[in-house]
Amino acid sequence: MAQESALNFTYEQLLSNVKLDTPLIAGGVRCHGGFDATGYRSPRTMWRVPAIEAWQKQHLATSPVPLIEIAADLVPPHLPSVAQAKLLLKAGVREPIVRMLTEIAIVEGFGATIRDLPVPPMASFIRESTAATGLAHLTGGLFEAHARDEAGWGDEGGHKQMWEAARDIALSNPDVPGDILMMIMGRRSAQNRPPRLLPTLAEPVERLLAFMVGVLAIEVFARSTFVWAEELLGDPEVSDSPAEASRLISYIRSDESPHVEYLRTTLSEVAARTLIAEDGSEIAGREAVNALLERSLKMMIRQRIRERRDQIRSSIRTAAQGKVADVEEFVARFDALETPWEPPAFARLEPVSGAAGNSGQVGY
Amino acid sequence: MHLAERLYRTSRTGFLAAQVYLSYKVPRMVDRARRADYKRRNLSPVHERNAGKIYRTAIELRGLMIKLAQVIGTRSDVFPPEYIRILSQCHDAVPPRSFAEIAPVVEQDLGAPIDRLFDNFEPRPIAAASLAQVHRARLRDSDTVVAVKVQYPDIADVVRTDIANMTKICSIYERLDPQPMALLPLLEELQKHLTMELDFKREVQSAERIAELFSDDPAVTVPRVYHELSSRRVITMEFVSGIKPTDKAAITAAGLNPAAVVQELMRVYVTMILARGFFQADPHPGNIFVNPHRRGDGKVIPRFVLMDFGLSKELPKGFGYALFNLMFAIMTQNDASAVKAFRELGFETRNGDPSTLLLIAHALNRRAPGQRFEGEFNSEITEELFKTIRENPVIRVPSDFVLVGRAFELLSGIAHTLGARANVLTAMAPPANDPTEAA
Repeated sequence: MAQESALNFTYEQLLSNVKLDTPLIAGGVRCHGGFDATGYRSPRTMWRVPAIEAWQKQHLATSPVPLIEIAADLVPPHLPSVAQAKLLLKAGVREPIVRMLTEIAIVEGFGATIRDLPVPPMASFIRESTAATGLAHLTGGLFEAHARDEAGWGDEGGHKQMWEAARDIALSNPDVPGDILMMIMGRRSAQNRPPRLLPTLAEPVERLLAFMVGVLAIEVFARSTFVWAEELLGDPEVSDSPAEASRLISYIRSDESPHVEYLRTTLSEVAARTLIAEDGSEIAGREAVNALLERSLKMMIRQRIRERRDQIRSSIRTAAQGKVADVEEFVARFDALETPWEPPAFARLEPVSGAAGNSGQVGY
Repeated sequence: MHLAERLYRTSRTGFLAAQVYLSYKVPRMVDRARRADYKRRNLSPVHERNAGKIYRTAIELRGLMIKLAQVIGTRSDVFPPEYIRILSQCHDAVPPRSFAEIAPVVEQDLGAPIDRLFDNFEPRPIAAASLAQVHRARLRDSDTVVAVKVQYPDIADVVRTDIANMTKICSIYERLDPQPMALLPLLEELQKHLTMELDFKREVQSAERIAELFSDDPAVTVPRVYHELSSRRVITMEFVSGIKPTDKAAITAAGLNPAAVVQELMRVYVTMILARGFFQADPHPGNIFVNPHRRGDGKVIPRFVLMDFGLSKELPKGFGYALFNLMFAIMTQNDASAVKAFRELGFETRNGDPSTLLLIAHALNRRAPGQRFEGEFNSEITEELFKTIRENPVIRVPSDFVLVGRAFELLSGIAHTLGARANVLTAMAPPANDPTEAA
């Protein structure tokens, strides 16, 4: 099964690990992944990575639709910036950062719910064959591997536990804010499920595609979070264990790479095909994926940043009481350190497939 | 309380304890003499008989005995299922006291004859429990109907006597039995809860605290308390009505979706338990009403009226987060995280052996639908959980965990009646297809 031309993989293969010399233990927690002579090896990548590469190669060879790409300049810089976060930590206003790192850990953990996503029989909703594609392996190991990476499995911690370990070793086991779960639940109840974009398509199909598109966007946007966390938790001025904490984040970052790759591969496979609507009519896969991706990106670029800014300011105002002389002046100093960034013009969010030429990819 | 009554209670309780003790001890001695294996003996009929005796004594003596029977009926981690099944019926079997016994409590505490305090104080109670009963009345010169909860006049004295009796009995039992069940901690816990429940001022504070927790959430209301007509033994509150949360037909007729009602009720309890660390610990269907409520945007949502805050509980700092981590670890089959979370919650095993804790985690997965625990505490899962705890050397199960487990089980029971599922983790998870929240 080692030959590159292989396009069909078993569930067990997609979940299998490379042989490791040493396991990864972080802050006393046994985590997934580990080390061999080449360095850190992400979990469940023995066959998953070559499989994704093979499906990508096949897709590019058989379809005019390039692989989906979310342009790096659409990703806003992390809020708070490293300078802002350092201002907080140096002033002893640690809670907003502890809260943020804990929220990241919890949301990462909830990523395991991807394994519970109802997956309709896609072959019934797609005109062309899906045999020997990534799409045909979603429930055949890809979603399960993703879920295990995020929440851990058996004796091994996943990203949830790794983020918690990074927080604890960098900030010396800080107290987790008591209302952390309330904040997450509060956000949930404030949100309503977005309306359907593709009403003629069977609802489970739209829901699956919307979920995958949403996760892809989050995974790509998380890059700025990794850069931020590696730099912040790796800074000896504010971190109690800079080398170990920043290395741990870099391991999570490399574990996430297969997630981005399988999602863009499978969504590109859908984009290259024709979806069958409930009334028997046809929808170009590319239109469906583009529409869902555009909505996701708009939501993340506009709404999420605004919400994050409001949340963090409110969190600082509470946590800074009694720690800084003038809270409002402190918030003003915090604001002044924000990395300037303008959301891209709306037009930038239209598909630019024709302009994808230099990278050979569909882009936004 | 008269001396004769005190002596009668003491002898009656002591006799019952001796009967129960000997019903286990004698067969054990017989088996030992015959070299038979006592563990293989079918004790179910003995459990059943003993539970029946405790039930009947509790109904006769009332007071603490009813409370004790109710507590036993909730402690599936300690007692066999026969006890739980029979003694949990004590919730619905309390005989009321006469108006002549109740009226003096109201008059003494509120400092005036009852007809100068209320119009139309109905002599027949609308509900009776182990420590108090509730009467309907109307505020003076007003149309406002209220519910007046009145503590039984001698209950504090009865509780003191019964606790002293039970403590002596348990101490003797622990001295006699080479491997005694840990009953004294249960009694201590009961005493703690009773002290809280007998102080109605505390109950009022708890009600108002819960109301404050949900002040910006239309899903919950708490009946208004009339402080000027309340005391340490009397609570006068707004009379509320609504649909019983187990009445599927009425819920549907009110334009509500039963499954959505269950999930929203679960969210309310998850908010209290996991997120806020303070909760009304008795979500018995009799303590909750549901009503349709039209939001500003025109959407009709379920609104719950929560009642009876006698057993409200402040959870230790970090409890909610640790419980969330435990459920999450079990759901994702992450053993290492599960053991860590069990310890954070206060579980202790002999020699610190984590394998027992893993047995508990695995038991939850084994009994769950699809053999994977997903945050639902139905009666099968809870039974398996407490059976595993009973059968394994867990030397400390935090009482808060038991209280929370029971609350979730009660909610699951409501869900079951409505033909829906009550899932803790779904109640707090980010929505499945919201790209700003999923990971």
